[in-house]
Amino acid sequence: MNGARRLNAESLAAAAFRLRELGVLVALGVAVLFFAIRATNFLTIDNWQDIAKDVAIVVVVGIGETMVILTRNIDLSVASIVGLSAFVTADTLAAHNDAPLVLVALLAMGVGTVLGLVNGLLVTVGRVPAIIATLATLAIYRGLAFQVTNGEAISAFRLPDNFLNIAASKPLGLPTLAWIALGVAFVGAAILRWAPWARDFFAIGSNPDAARVAGIHTGRRVVIAFVMCGALSGLGGFMWASRYPTVDAVSATDFELDVITAVVIGGVNVFGGSGSVLGVVLGAVLVATIQNGFTLLHLSEFWKLFFNGFAIVVAVAINALVTHRLQDALRRRRRAQVLATRHMEAEA
Amino acid sequence: MRTALLFVGRLLARWEVLLVIAIVGVGIWSATLSPFFFVRANLLDLLTPYAFIGLMAFGLAFVVIAGEIDISVASILAVSVVCFSQFYDAGLNVWLALVAGLAVATGLGCINGVLVGIFDLPSLAITLGTLAAYQGLAYVILPGEGVAAFPESVTKFGGGYVHIELPIALLVLISFAVVLGFVLHATRFGRYLYTIGSNREAARFAGIPVARVRVTVFALSGFMAGIAGVVYVGYFGSARADAGQGSLLDVVTAVVLGGVDIFGGSGSMLGVFLALVLVAELRNGMQLANIAGDTQNIVIGVLLLTAIVLGNLTRAIQARGLPSIPRRKGVIGNATASAGLAIEPETEVKGR
Repeated sequence: MNGARRLNAESLAAAAFRLRELGVLVALGVAVLFFAIRATNFLTIDNWQDIAKDVAIVVVVGIGETMVILTRNIDLSVASIVGLSAFVTADTLAAHNDAPLVLVALLAMGVGTVLGLVNGLLVTVGRVPAIIATLATLAIYRGLAFQVTNGEAISAFRLPDNFLNIAASKPLGLPTLAWIALGVAFVGAAILRWAPWARDFFAIGSNPDAARVAGIHTGRRVVIAFVMCGALSGLGGFMWASRYPTVDAVSATDFELDVITAVVIGGVNVFGGSGSVLGVVLGAVLVATIQNGFTLLHLSEFWKLFFNGFAIVVAVAINALVTHRLQDALRRRRRAQVLATRHMEAEA
Repeated sequence: MRTALLFVGRLLARWEVLLVIAIVGVGIWSATLSPFFFVRANLLDLLTPYAFIGLMAFGLAFVVIAGEIDISVASILAVSVVCFSQFYDAGLNVWLALVAGLAVATGLGCINGVLVGIFDLPSLAITLGTLAAYQGLAYVILPGEGVAAFPESVTKFGGGYVHIELPIALLVLISFAVVLGFVLHATRFGRYLYTIGSNREAARFAGIPVARVRVTVFALSGFMAGIAGVVYVGYFGSARADAGQGSLLDVVTAVVLGGVDIFGGSGSMLGVFLALVLVAELRNGMQLANIAGDTQNIVIGVLLLTAIVLGNLTRAIQARGLPSIPRRKGVIGNATASAGLAIEPETEVKGR
């Protein structure tokens, strides 16, 4: 009896999450329908390949951001990490045209890992609230990018063809960038589903004190989340350098807004504790589709900025509403259960 | 002797005193860089370019003391500045345009306030969203070139002088610091903020109109961003959609370095003002030393982080027990308290 009830509560929660992803899907359908009618060239293969390229980088960085947000923290410095590692990638490849790409990608991820580690240590050892810590490192890492680039910009013609092909080639009709993102998404989803240390992210985000009492090394786990986010932002930087023709010190400025919008729209709770990779992917596709549609409708670049912000507010409101309803429903069930037990005891 | 030492120790433990020492130190460093630093005109003018940052920081301090955060202030400044210029361009009387700009700023702050205070949504995520939304709005209202050529009667608030040397922006800044300091430290509304910031549930049970106060505090923050916009337009002589962009770091640094607890419940107007002086002086000194703006950001960012980490460290050491100095709630952040390191109960709600 008891077990059945608990199962019920769990399935209720699962249903709510599915509902959230379903909501994003419905919104995506509406957006596609709207732009297909209003904008010419929207439903062409070329256009969708373009959208896929935009989505790819957001997804890779967004999965890292998700890990951080799951632990009830936030990383505002991702765009600066993307920019810095994009320049390191382009700079290395411009100097060594025949460098193996895997090594360069690892180098970019290494840069991101170090920067993410700094964020993580500031938050855990330094006990600086994540919002302040990463607001500061956002400026610091961007300043570092200016130091490293020294005002220089690296254009695509200095980069080797095999690198530019990462963005240009389309095996099986899907851009290579999107294949990379797909791989990261599968690995990320598997990690968040099965890896014990990643399951701890959910526990920490749901209730940090309870997680600590339950014996989870919360500090270490939060550092890992920030390191993962940094490494994935580094990979995002590698992809950024191949996607955009010119890389300089201001590359990817404000990109964190795209990432956070996708993550929040994808149903990741800003208070931590819940969220899924599938949601993030759907959120990224939705954001990219709408922004692409805006471009095709010749709307100003700035409406996109407005839309990003508006979408964050709406998504946060909807998430809060769903969470609230879910908690209410669970509480009501628990109350009914307690009452039933009391009743039974009284009869006995 | 022992009491004297205790007194000195307690004095040094006050954040404002540490800030004054830092200000003197940076002043001496700046004086070695340029013989023109310690000139009365330069010292008086030191804060003029940062007055708009200070005005935003004052508003943000109220929000942070109440336990929330508002990172959309710079975007509100942009919208308000752009609206002001558009109203003026459309032929409205310049003072009416100014009031309309302030009303827009207050309205945008109100939107934040309603979303956070009434709908109970997290202020960090909401103001991150409105940061982007308002910035986009500013660009949509005034794309491309900015508007210049405002009458001197308005621009004097940012760029004018009394008796040749005394900047009006400094007077505006100090008057708002005094008035807001009074509101924060000597009115019931101010005490409400500390109570709500310390413990929102307790404040509700104590009969404080929590929702109303939270909406008001965000509206105030928006209004101050509007005032900052007026000074901004006066100082730069033009209104553009990217006004105030990149100033968020300085605003947050002034508030947090000023000793306002980022988790709410403590902080003082004097501290924020002193921190603003320190930031302005540091940037001025770095300009004298020919350090580029983006490198300056590294220094300011590191300063912000160091202040918090040092504050936390001091508290951790104090928590292990230096018996002579009475332990107080920390300078920045109450992370140790939430980590269960704070042993004593918090009995007082106070602003230092």
